[in-house]
Amino acid sequence: MADGTPPPGPDPVGPAPAVRPFLVTAGRVAPTAAGRPVPVETQVVATTEGLAVLDGLSFEQHDIVAACRQPQSIAELAARLRLHLNVARVLAEDLRAAGYLVVHVPDSGVIHDASVLRRVIEALRAIPDSRGVIRDSD
Amino acid sequence: MTRTDPAARVAAAPVAAVRPPLPVKLVIAGGFGVGKTTAVGSISEIEPLTTEAAITEVAAGVDDLSHTPRKTTTTVAMDFGCITIDPTLKLYLFGTPGQERFGFMWDDIVEGAVGGLVIVDTRRLDDCYAAVDYFEHRQIPFAVAVNAFDGKVEHSLEEVRWALDVAERVPVVVFDARERGSVRDALLVVLEQALARTEA
Repeated sequence: MADGTPPPGPDPVGPAPAVRPFLVTAGRVAPTAAGRPVPVETQVVATTEGLAVLDGLSFEQHDIVAACRQPQSIAELAARLRLHLNVARVLAEDLRAAGYLVVHVPDSGVIHDASVLRRVIEALRAIPDSRGVIRDSD
Repeated sequence: MTRTDPAARVAAAPVAAVRPPLPVKLVIAGGFGVGKTTAVGSISEIEPLTTEAAITEVAAGVDDLSHTPRKTTTTVAMDFGCITIDPTLKLYLFGTPGQERFGFMWDDIVEGAVGGLVIVDTRRLDDCYAAVDYFEHRQIPFAVAVNAFDGKVEHSLEEVRWALDVAERVPVVVFDARERGSVRDALLVVLEQALARTEA
């Protein structure tokens, strides 16, 4: 990768959306009036109520609730639906307020707990390298 | 015989259809073309996804709808992937643009991360100073990983450590962003740092 050569892999941005990104949020760019934006890994998942009214929702709202049958992060949601990250945040907050989504803002204290980190470490160690060989333990 | 408390029923929160996993986040930083997306792709269980974020919007913190929000001037692409640890735990790997001017974007991505991996191309060490400074100032556990392009590293690890002026406790390792096992080991170095921090 010499200077000026893009890194390998798919086009990182993809086609430009036809609609100006913040039209769908009526120009709002921050998810709440006062709060900080939720972290990008924040998990969003549809509620049973949201799935029940799914057919009555339109456009992005429908697509978001439908996608969130499977829990996923705000970042995944934005990427899969080709929404700007902050558009996804705003719409998710609207849908949460309506009771159609649950937004699980991660608890920093829990995630930084040693027992959680150990579980991640153990699982990573079990990942074989590309040749399918499980790495020896330390 | 059970009775339902009517007050509790009214107050009941909407129920998630499925319980989401706890998301653990690692940030992969470094200059353009240094191998961030390659590294994510080598170990992620999904093809790396890309989302766009605009740094002015993140930075402006618009809190009054009557104000005209600042126009988006710069859109950055953020690549990321994930590894399911088990149904209750999921590791996210976020690649973040490394240049200094993306500082606002960093806060938005890095907030809550358990650690960071700074990928270095020894031919362009300058590109990673901002990332090293950032993690040091935020006291986020991190490691420096020299990407061995074509199996070659132009400077010794000691030279890299000296040039970056990182603290002695910060691991500096060589890895190959294309090799899953190599990326795994680099991430493990970061996680061990994070774990050591909790036990300090």
